[in-house]
Amino acid sequence: MSERTIKVESKVGLHARPAALFVQTAAQAPIDVTVAKPGKEPVNAKSILAVLALDARHGEEITLRADGDGADELLAKLAAVVAEAEPKGA
Amino acid sequence: MTRVLSPVPGRVVGLAGVPDPVFAQAMVGPGTAVDPARGPGAAAAPVAGTIVKLHPHAYVVVDAEGHGVLVHLGIDTVQLKGAGFELLAAEGDRVEAGQPVVAWDPAAIEAGGRSPVCAVVALDAGADALSGVREDGDVERGAELFAWS
Repeated sequence: MSERTIKVESKVGLHARPAALFVQTAAQAPIDVTVAKPGKEPVNAKSILAVLALDARHGEEITLRADGDGADELLAKLAAVVAEAEPKGA
Repeated sequence: MTRVLSPVPGRVVGLAGVPDPVFAQAMVGPGTAVDPARGPGAAAAPVAGTIVKLHPHAYVVVDAEGHGVLVHLGIDTVQLKGAGFELLAAEGDRVEAGQPVVAWDPAAIEAGGRSPVCAVVALDAGADALSGVREDGDVERGAELFAWS
């Protein structure tokens, strides 16, 4: 199990563009990956519905977890999306 | 089968008509968009269900089948931090399709230099899950925009 806790740098939080990029990145991987806010149940990082409902705001910390081949690489990619103030492109 | 209704009256422009590539390229999901009639009004729930997320400028309603529909009121309207939007319901509320959720004035959004185009997006849906997607023409609030199987 790989785990990574990071701060949301996107000014609008994990919404709209950052959320779509985050979910697209997660969905490209064949392994399960979750995202959670502190003290809350983890949700499916491949679900745009779950990620929008999570409502991770600018400055909040979220924890990513994945298990299996490529888990570390996947979490690094997702962390890069979350670490951008204004993510661009797909 | 979920029938997704227009949250606002106006002219259907399709997702491609949304001046934001995140929506226009269906990155958030498949669906359509409506250029709303100008003037004060209220944006409605696109389906009957529970409001799982409610921001002044955007909301998500999940129906009994677990289908979540995002309504995004205008582009870059998150920057308004709620100014010009009045919540008529609360997060966690159960709503009927067509029930008013947020009062706003598309003309005021436009006067502020932003597009008031409303994206209506099927969350976690494959593109082939939608049928009868409206891409043009005038709609009343509550008119069907697409069906989601």
